[in-house]
Amino acid sequence: MTDTPLLQVDEVTVTRENGKKLLDQVNLRVGHGEVTGVLGRNGAGKTTLAYTVMGLPSYRPNSGRIFFEGKDITNLSITDRSRLGITLAWQYPARYEGITVAEYLRLSRKDATRRELEEALDFIQMEPFYLDRFVDKALSGGERKRLELASIYLMRPKLAILDEPDSGVDLLALGDVIKLFKKLIDFGSSVLVITHRDDIASACDRAYLLCNGKVMLEGQPVAVKQYFMSLCSPCSDPLLAGGVISNESQ
Amino acid sequence: MNLSNEYMSLIEIAEKAGEPIRTDDAHVIVHANNIIAAKDIPGLEIDAEETEFGIRASFTVKAGAVLKKPVHLCFGHLGKEGKQIIESRIVLEEGAKAKFYSHCIFPNAVKFLHAMEGDIVVGKGADMTYEEVHVHGPEGKIEVRPLTRVVVDEKGRYVSNFSLIEGRVGILYLDVEVDVVGWLGSAEITSKVYGKYDDICNVKDTIRLSGEKSSGLAKARVVLKDNSFGKFFGEVQGAADGSKGHVDCTEIVQGNAKAEAVPVVSVVHPGAEITHEAAIGRIANEKLWGLMAKGLTENEAIDVIVSGLLR
Ligand SMILES: Nc1ncnc2c1ncn2[C@@H]1O[C@H](COP(=O)(O)OP(=O)(O)O)[C@@H](O)[C@H]1O
Ligand SMILES: [Mg+2]
Repeated sequence: MTDTPLLQVDEVTVTRENGKKLLDQVNLRVGHGEVTGVLGRNGAGKTTLAYTVMGLPSYRPNSGRIFFEGKDITNLSITDRSRLGITLAWQYPARYEGITVAEYLRLSRKDATRRELEEALDFIQMEPFYLDRFVDKALSGGERKRLELASIYLMRPKLAILDEPDSGVDLLALGDVIKLFKKLIDFGSSVLVITHRDDIASACDRAYLLCNGKVMLEGQPVAVKQYFMSLCSPCSDPLLAGGVISNESQ
Repeated sequence: MNLSNEYMSLIEIAEKAGEPIRTDDAHVIVHANNIIAAKDIPGLEIDAEETEFGIRASFTVKAGAVLKKPVHLCFGHLGKEGKQIIESRIVLEEGAKAKFYSHCIFPNAVKFLHAMEGDIVVGKGADMTYEEVHVHGPEGKIEVRPLTRVVVDEKGRYVSNFSLIEGRVGILYLDVEVDVVGWLGSAEITSKVYGKYDDICNVKDTIRLSGEKSSGLAKARVVLKDNSFGKFFGEVQGAADGSKGHVDCTEIVQGNAKAEAVPVVSVVHPGAEITHEAAIGRIANEKLWGLMAKGLTENEAIDVIVSGLLR
């Protein structure tokens, strides 16, 4: 084992044109073979953090740096980061007209056999008949989210960022999410899981609490979870309690 | 005249573009204004004659006849310049079922006019699918004018797919008008066009629903790049009680291309219901980013999205 963490987010600030800080001097690390959790209420900046690590063009840090396996990736494109081994299971995955589930999954592993595709679907409890369906309106949001997890199962990235894999309708039970973490770690992946649910924290090795774009707390998941449950809902910060962080659109 | 070379070339290109043409299936193969091959089958009558610039043909699928394999029509020209005019009439009698597969092949056309005037009658309870696939060359400005008029009777069903994806479009005036006059009749027309360079793509789909409980869908997928221009005009009119229609148009614009979409939904009977959706513009970022996070470059992601859309 090496001392260099897999992912290191170093003092990262992401600001909008109107001056609003979506992320405010965020420090975060994900160790090799670890499941790291980011907790926070709706609107805390969790998805923003995921986008920033993935390298979305409109989420480039205004200051701070991001390192992956010790390499500065702050200025790399999404494609380059993905090819280094980072991928993201989106909170709201896009739809793709005319592309079948089988074709979609093969984007994550070109040479996957039908058998392997079925195995990946089985892992997230989808029947093989889905392989011939299209990744468009015919699939529900929940089904598309599960498909993202199946993609990650096939891709075996070094770092899997999972944005709220446990929330929404038609999704996996907590136990299945934990099973997914285990499987990914077995494959040699590390996980950065984003959630607003406290119970998911139990399955993490370490956790962060994000609030209003700032890291409020970092450490043992139990402690972070306790803090989150006792102080965050309802929010104890008089500045934030006015609904500023609870008005996320979806 | 020995046209065996033309025959072989057309057959070969048609096979690459879609379903192969087998000699024992019903077919009509035309090069310029020469009928090189024609074959009818039980249940299908074909009457074709050569005209000055093309052919005039009529196809009748007899009452109750269900054609198991598609009828292949292949209209082509291997030359660079010229003109071809195809006049056709297709009648499906009561309860007939057939699929017509039309290949229009102009691999070398630079200055060419290809016009088609088609009349289609879908009889009571008849079921007709019409696929038209064009294969054009990489150069030149072929002008393509497919004009189709369709009438659909009681419980009849008309499904058409027009596709001009291979090679340059040139100048396209696609014009389909369908009248669903019978109770429970339906029409579904889909047009897929990929414009490049300075291609001009005009797609006009009109469906009038005058049969009670009739239904119609006009769908277009147009991808435009370079300096091409595309215009989609889609109209569905609800003119009878319980008629339901939908216009669905997506136009993707890249480079300096320009696009217009005019969805017209009109209702002239209070019991009709017509809806529409139109998306026009560049590929949504989240679609691109979603694929890039799987390791694709932006251009690879565009290719995947475009080929899905035009499939
Ligand atoms: N592109 C953007 N422009 C402006 N504000 C944004 C943008 N994206 C997100 N936000 C705002 O930033 C805050 C954090 O959003 P987000 O990261 O999606 O929160 P979470 O995922 O924790 O629910 C929210 O208040 C949201 O409205
Ligand atoms: Mg979020």
